[in-house]
Amino acid sequence: MPGLFRHKGWLAAGVMAATCALAFTGVASATHPANTKPPLKHININLNDTEALRTGAVFFMHTCAACHSLQGLRFQSLASPLHLDDKQVEKLIMVSTRRPLDTIVSPMPETLAKGYFGIEPPDLTDELHLRSADWVYTYLTSFYADPTRPTGANNVVFHNVAMPDVFAHLQGWQSPVMKPGFRFDKPAQIAMGVEPLTKGTMTPEQFDGLAKDLVTFLAYAANPHQQLSQQIGFWVLIGLAIFIVLSYLIYRLYWRDIVMPHGQRWWSYWKKR
Amino acid sequence: MNARLRAVGAWFDQRLPISAAWHSQVKDYPAPKNFNVWYFFGSLLLLVLVMQLASGLFLAIHYQPNPHLAYWSVLRGIMNDTHWGWLIRYIHTTGASAFFVLLYLHMYRGIMYGSYKKPRELLWLIGVAIYLLLAAEAFLGYLLPWGQMSYWGATAVVNFVTAFPVIGHPIAEWLRGSFVVGLPTINRFFVFHIFLIPLLLLAVVLIHLIALHQVGSNNPDGIEIHGNVNKSSGWPVDAVPFHPYYTVKDTLGVAVFLLVFFWFVFFDPHAFGLLIDNLNFSPANALQTPPDIHPLWYFLPYYAVLRGVPNKLDGVLAFAFVFVMLAGLPLLDRNPIRSIRYRSLLYKLNILAMPGSFIWLGTIAFGKATEGNMVYGLHVAEMFYLTFWLLPYFNRVRPKWATILWFIVLEAFVWLIDYWMFYTNAHGWDVMLRTDWIPALYIAAMTLPALVVPSLIHDVPKLPERLTAGGLLH
Repeated sequence: MPGLFRHKGWLAAGVMAATCALAFTGVASATHPANTKPPLKHININLNDTEALRTGAVFFMHTCAACHSLQGLRFQSLASPLHLDDKQVEKLIMVSTRRPLDTIVSPMPETLAKGYFGIEPPDLTDELHLRSADWVYTYLTSFYADPTRPTGANNVVFHNVAMPDVFAHLQGWQSPVMKPGFRFDKPAQIAMGVEPLTKGTMTPEQFDGLAKDLVTFLAYAANPHQQLSQQIGFWVLIGLAIFIVLSYLIYRLYWRDIVMPHGQRWWSYWKKR
Repeated sequence: MNARLRAVGAWFDQRLPISAAWHSQVKDYPAPKNFNVWYFFGSLLLLVLVMQLASGLFLAIHYQPNPHLAYWSVLRGIMNDTHWGWLIRYIHTTGASAFFVLLYLHMYRGIMYGSYKKPRELLWLIGVAIYLLLAAEAFLGYLLPWGQMSYWGATAVVNFVTAFPVIGHPIAEWLRGSFVVGLPTINRFFVFHIFLIPLLLLAVVLIHLIALHQVGSNNPDGIEIHGNVNKSSGWPVDAVPFHPYYTVKDTLGVAVFLLVFFWFVFFDPHAFGLLIDNLNFSPANALQTPPDIHPLWYFLPYYAVLRGVPNKLDGVLAFAFVFVMLAGLPLLDRNPIRSIRYRSLLYKLNILAMPGSFIWLGTIAFGKATEGNMVYGLHVAEMFYLTFWLLPYFNRVRPKWATILWFIVLEAFVWLIDYWMFYTNAHGWDVMLRTDWIPALYIAAMTLPALVVPSLIHDVPKLPERLTAGGLLH
């Protein structure tokens, strides 16, 4: 079969493509879910949305900070991203006994917290990295009433969570949408979503907006340098692009007289082979 | 003024061979003309080494090697409270991954163009030592942020040695300095990471460069540049002076690399948990084992091998065997032709399958540790090992009976491993038969076609002597 040998490039490409295809079918067939995962709701984070950051920060300080710390941030450092002056930060964000350069630390003592919940409420600075924005957004909106739990509440994306439903008065209570699935490889009823049970003081749209603002603020806490990083990064990449063009021109200049081993100029060397 | 400057230069030259080194190693050092894009990675590795040392210096200044403070000092102190700390840390974390990207590409360049063949066997071995040192460096540094994955990764890896009977547990205790990973461990890992391994790394890299300049660079065609010189000038016809030709070319490589590198640093330093593991954003907790303990992307193939072998000791040995095979490449591949360009089609496919199966192993390690996935990983690992074991087959054109013999022996080996696992009740045939076709089909694909189309294993005939490693087989 001399013809086969002549087209060896295509043959090699074909074999590699077939191998890749087999690999993907293999990966698809070899992974089956050990846990049924409820779908996550998607959120687009916009760290330039000052209004959202402010709402999120104020709500965090008045509700979440009772139990959760945010040690990556200092009160004073919030002035610039929230577009507030120091007086306003003191009035809106700071807890009275704290000083401007303090980090955001929950007033709840660790031992008491462990007594209340069985676990110390985690510091939320890195929560958005540990989980994801979508996960946190879904988590905040997916508490449901569960009389079997000590707090009376459970969560769709965090089964048997220790945190109580602190949004019940705003959002109203919710009931789970149960579907058969798997938990730890065993068949079980899995909460795949929630539906409203009682009315809260906020409309569903208002609460959804609040949850989004809170996630936006937490996203800022996890990436306080993101905007600066992208601003600098833009100019660094522009500079490097210019560097590439210049170094390419210098390279062409130096190499234009070099005769390659096969007797051709370097740019026709590859074509002729 | 000029004369005075020259006098200063002469003063130094009499006392330190600066000019002599510059001329012999850079200005008049002959480098082959035909380097292609694969030859950028060596100089880029040097660049990344310097970047890691520089960024690591500043990180070490602000870091606290103490279980109570480590997580805080990295995630709060360095990231939020130190001026530009976040940038320096992201350069260091992205640099670690860049190191392995470049190293894997650099190694593959050597494999493709036969840079481990005579006279560069020792150069290759020193390179394997650098890979080992870098793996150790990455592992030691990974404990330092003291996140969940740091802690449990270190726990799991130190426990490798407990696979060895009798001496295993005492050695593990000696390595940790304690019964579990704790204060003594983080202290010594910090010292090894910033002092011992970098020192060794620098020394071995220097030896690697000295060995390189002793034998000269290989090139994509595998041309030996030293024999063929211009009669009047004595300069090798196929070479150009390293400076300025390769200094300007490598500058272009550096520019392109830095563009990609800083895109990650400034715009996506986490890369969906590929460069910094998501689970490491939770402080180490000795009472809470994470659902699965996995390494960062550059060790995932090894993780798949470890997970695939049912017995812990065998798993550790199989994992260490990868390094033995890499070091043994000059012995496995004894065909005198250096470059893959002049080798047979089946050899080319085998060399393509080598990184192919390695990456495939990595993708399997992403999956959950189900029984199916473990066996799947084992079978792809067998394919990866086979790409090395088939190299001696390609040393010369084999007669048909030898091809059939290679086929039978390798197939028997693969099926015996499966039978052994069935015999020891490790896995059932129902699970194993799902992915058994991978190594079995691979052996068939690499050997049997030559029975029908013999030209598939024919290297380019009558290659000039200077394109070969010079009669290794004759």
